Amino acid sequence: MTDLTLSSGSRRGLLFRHRRSLAGALFVLPCVLFVVVFFLTPLIMTAWMSLHNWPLLGAHRFTGLANYRELAQDRAFWSALGFTFRYALLTTPLIFLVAFALAAIVERRVVGVGLLRTAYFLPVVVGLGTASVLWVWMLNAQVGVLNAIAQALHLTAEPIAYLDSPGSALLTTSLMIVWKTAGLSMLLLLVGLQAIPTYLYEAATIDGAGPWARLFRVTLPLMRRTFALALVLSVTGSLLAFDQFYILTHGGPQSSTVTAVFWIYNTSFGSFRLGYGSAMSLVLLVILVLISVAQLYLLRDDTEL
Amino acid sequence: MQHSRVLALTATFALASAAHAVTIDFWVRNDDAGFTQPLVKAFNASHATQVKLNIIPSAQFVAKFASAVAGGAAPDVVATDLVYLPAFAAAGQLTDITAQAKALPYYKTLSPSHLRLATYGSKLYGVPYSAEGSILLYNKDLFTKAGLDPNKPPTTFAEIQAYSKKITALGGGVKGFYFAGACAGCNAFTLLPLIWASGGDVLSSDGKSATVDSPAVRSALTLYKDLWNSGQIPQSAKADSGTDFLNAFTTGKIGMAGSGAFAIGTLKTKYPNVNFGVAPLPGQSGKSSSFAGGDTMAIPTGSKHPQEAFEFLSFCLSETVQVEQFAKNGSIPVRSDLAVNQYSKLDPRFVVPARAMAGGRTPYSTVYNDIFNSNTGPWLTMIQKAVFNGDVNGAVKEAQVSITKILAR
Repeated sequence: MTDLTLSSGSRRGLLFRHRRSLAGALFVLPCVLFVVVFFLTPLIMTAWMSLHNWPLLGAHRFTGLANYRELAQDRAFWSALGFTFRYALLTTPLIFLVAFALAAIVERRVVGVGLLRTAYFLPVVVGLGTASVLWVWMLNAQVGVLNAIAQALHLTAEPIAYLDSPGSALLTTSLMIVWKTAGLSMLLLLVGLQAIPTYLYEAATIDGAGPWARLFRVTLPLMRRTFALALVLSVTGSLLAFDQFYILTHGGPQSSTVTAVFWIYNTSFGSFRLGYGSAMSLVLLVILVLISVAQLYLLRDDTEL
Repeated sequence: MQHSRVLALTATFALASAAHAVTIDFWVRNDDAGFTQPLVKAFNASHATQVKLNIIPSAQFVAKFASAVAGGAAPDVVATDLVYLPAFAAAGQLTDITAQAKALPYYKTLSPSHLRLATYGSKLYGVPYSAEGSILLYNKDLFTKAGLDPNKPPTTFAEIQAYSKKITALGGGVKGFYFAGACAGCNAFTLLPLIWASGGDVLSSDGKSATVDSPAVRSALTLYKDLWNSGQIPQSAKADSGTDFLNAFTTGKIGMAGSGAFAIGTLKTKYPNVNFGVAPLPGQSGKSSSFAGGDTMAIPTGSKHPQEAFEFLSFCLSETVQVEQFAKNGSIPVRSDLAVNQYSKLDPRFVVPARAMAGGRTPYSTVYNDIFNSNTGPWLTMIQKAVFNGDVNGAVKEAQVSITKILAR
């Protein structure tokens, strides 16, 4: 704003402004192009397809809002969405508790802490699909290492089937996801923790605050933004869950672990109904946007503007 | 000088012939990779037309094929699970090869199930590529130990029950029976024949209505339920999504399990210690049946070289390929006139699936995937509810409703 008032009226200034804004546009252009090509175009195409009876193979025809009307009454989709929310409600607090504990452990500057940080973060680097396959074989009844250990220790006579009931399938998959993703949340929380200046703790201690008071009055309020970021990432990740259930439980037993994305995948590539799948994707997108906005609003930071 | 002119000449010649020879794109699902690679090699060595092989993971075959078609880059030949043929043909994606196929001298010997599935609206859209028939595997050593005759496999549901009980009684982790409780496709392959052999079916013969709510379906499910409830199937079977479909039997601790011809070769080469027998899958009271599976070859409508593509199709069906490539490597020929050959004679166990194949059945449906293959579909849901929850009646009625709903879509 300042250089605008200074140079207004002079021709050179106008040219300069013009060139500056052109340069600015050029700098954001790659990003805009990327968003247009890889986000907006597919989004508009999805919306267009959702108005059609669009099979995976063969000709499509326009059906207006028929897909959305069917969706409103599709029990399978809404129960998949319900399961997805239950899964998110189970994993999110688990991930946060574990991540916060891990962050508290690795925040201290002691010998060997680098090793711990790496160890906790390592599962994050493994792809989700790869990690799921790894667990499939670790949990396997015939050759799995977990059962081999349990049987060698005489904890169980017959191999444990970790995925054979709706409850145990959900719990096992959730634990696998906590192992897989807690490292990332830990990293985010660690950055937040280290950003709190030590003099605040010193001041609080002088004022007579104990460890719990320091945690609740200093640490947590100052980490509000970090929490918001980690929470939105974690909740979005949980609500879009697919790979882990596709690979570990295949949606079973008895379709009890089918997530929203899993059902969209099934409809699009199992039933070959791309149009209907698109309609479900859009509904899920709207729900996700609403939830993210709500989270960011609740965890907004008014302390500085 | 002389030398370089010769070189130039050969180069021109090579270029000319290369421009002349057509290269066709052949897609096959990864299960077939083993016997397809040598087959393509043999074809390329003896023909001007060259085949470029593309191996596609089974689970992604339909999606990849669809995107290739949408992108105008359809392959020239596809070989995939025969159950997809009605859906592909109904979508107008396959070339009508009725006249060419019927002109083949051995047309009448081609696997009838493959041809039936490749027929849509009285036109033929594919020919068999590979054959796979479901059978009952049983462990001869366990039969002997349990005081049973290892040369008399069960022929009725009651015999399965009785034999399984005796084998389970051996103890030490040995169980009488096995099935993969969370694998939709595995059970279509091994449980449907029990229903067929008992005189029932899940779909009507035209594939347009559901016939699940029937005594034959109930009795087959009740057999599994009773075996499960009396502890004759390992607990781990409940969550097996197919990874242990064969693995469980190879441990040597399973008395009987439904399986396919593919298992014979694997058991022979990799598990020589398992002394196994092969029998037809029985019905409730004496008959037997088999799921006639395998892959079918077809020419997508987008192919620019349908003529050369058919040349490759007929090569695959030739006696040399069927016997010297397929039978020799332990798979079943797709021509009934070659079912008994010099290699099948070496091991009579190969004859059972070959015979079963010829009399085998396959559900015909454009929504096969939805009903039978999907792990969230009505077929698997019904089995799990009937066997593990013990509610055969409720499961059957629910499946009748949900299959009817899918068929009406």
